[in-house]
Amino acid sequence: MYSATNNDQQLLRALAKGERVATEQIYKQQFPIINSWLIKNGGSADDAADLFQEAMVVLFSKVQNEDFALTCAIGTYLFSISKHLWYKRLQQQQKGPGRLYDNTEDDGAEVGIAYEEDINVHHEREAHFNQLDTALDQIGEPCRSLLKAYYHKDKSMQEIAADFGYTNPENAKTQKYKCLTRLRKLFYSVQAK
Amino acid sequence: MNTNNNWELAEAYLAGKLSLQELVELKSRRETDEVFASEFNDNLNLISSLQSNGSQKRFRAMLSDIHKETAATKTRRAIQLPAHFWRTSAVAATVALMTSFISYSIMNSSKKSDANYTTISNTVRAIAVDQNKLKKIVQDSVINKKSPIVPTSDVRRTGTGFALTNDGYFVTAYHVINDGNGEGDSVYIQSNDGIYYKAFVVNYSAESDLAILKVERKNFQFAKNEVPYTLAARKAALGAQIYTVGYPTEDIVYSEGYISARNGYRGNSKQYTMELPAGHGQSGSPVIDAKGNVLGILTAISTPKESNTYAVSTDELLDLIEKMPAGNKMHLPKSNKLSRLSREEQISKMENYTFSVKVYKK
Repeated sequence: MYSATNNDQQLLRALAKGERVATEQIYKQQFPIINSWLIKNGGSADDAADLFQEAMVVLFSKVQNEDFALTCAIGTYLFSISKHLWYKRLQQQQKGPGRLYDNTEDDGAEVGIAYEEDINVHHEREAHFNQLDTALDQIGEPCRSLLKAYYHKDKSMQEIAADFGYTNPENAKTQKYKCLTRLRKLFYSVQAK
Repeated sequence: MNTNNNWELAEAYLAGKLSLQELVELKSRRETDEVFASEFNDNLNLISSLQSNGSQKRFRAMLSDIHKETAATKTRRAIQLPAHFWRTSAVAATVALMTSFISYSIMNSSKKSDANYTTISNTVRAIAVDQNKLKKIVQDSVINKKSPIVPTSDVRRTGTGFALTNDGYFVTAYHVINDGNGEGDSVYIQSNDGIYYKAFVVNYSAESDLAILKVERKNFQFAKNEVPYTLAARKAALGAQIYTVGYPTEDIVYSEGYISARNGYRGNSKQYTMELPAGHGQSGSPVIDAKGNVLGILTAISTPKESNTYAVSTDELLDLIEKMPAGNKMHLPKSNKLSRLSREEQISKMENYTFSVKVYKK
């Protein structure tokens, strides 16, 4: 079985932290390959950007897991995920019945990629995040903006205190906990639906 | 039980900041106190979901930024117009200009039927022909091979819009494109060189009074360069100096002022209240700070005094962009190229990306 090279491992560790240099390097190396493949297979440049970025997110989430190990080169992985995302999309749009994807003759399987599982996990996570966003949207102000500033925009409590007009970060923090309590109620009721 | 403590504990636990002793205490409490344990688990789940959702959102934003930077610049194809068509196109342009308008009149938004609060798009009645613009259009159609599209029916409302990306996405106030009775109207923009382009709605929020549209034309670009300003992600401070450019008339108009209240009409936290002269037709104009950051989108004025002007904060716009329907990839500019320019230079750059929005009966 293939195991990722040292260079790949380093790149992946940096990717996991969301470091731009590493992400850019992977992007520049891999995107052109997927782009030209997709255009040959009936997609547009926009589709390619879409799929590739989705595949990058799948990889990004996967490497967050500490005991994660990639059993193939980064490029192979991204290519395989992009391809299957594309086949899934075609299937959904019922565009090309002749090109439906087939498990048995897939090159991903040959190199031992559990792409199917990774994609499913990815979709489940996206659904989970969507529920979370829905709850966040229902929570009302100022909680919605405050939680978004802290968790989505990665702002510090000091910045938030200044932006939202709290006298000190401690007060902002108390407000944040109140908001989290409200969000918890909403979120678990959204999930229950 | 103190709720805040429970959250604080969950945060410290996830960040790995608990001491060994605290961890031991926590463990035994989770084993013995069922109510505490279930609440604590919920809290852990919620916080870690929020964190990973956030880092994924930031990662996505970085990806689209990288993509924008690496994407090769596409070449535009110009269609050569044979010489004997020039005259025909000049006539067509003249006809087009007959449907060019000067506008006035007040429009009360059907949604905010409040006597003190008037949205500021224009309802158009009069027609006028501007000879200079006519010439310009004819020249452009000949020299630049841009064929003017001609809106064929009566203009209903005008407003202002500004570009979000150079490839055709722009924003305006929702009430400009839909006042509640104009379902299915067609929307055109008229750039400051007089050319009309048809646009379609991509996403909107009636509640925050924003609409994102895209120019229909393939390979369209507002100007040669990427949009030079950026959208502010946080609310600006009270008293910030601001200015706006918009189209209350056929010509672009500049006005300046300051933010006079953190919240908008009746305490609306998605808006600013500003001391900024604005008139009808300026709905959808960008509100810009001294450094060239777009802080908001002009939407309304208070009547009868007309001393307060309201703008929707760009926070709301960014939210709307985040929720774009699938298939719309928007790559917002990340660098602000206006910050070091003088006000005059900023305005002259803004002119290329700010335009009149005209809505016609279908």
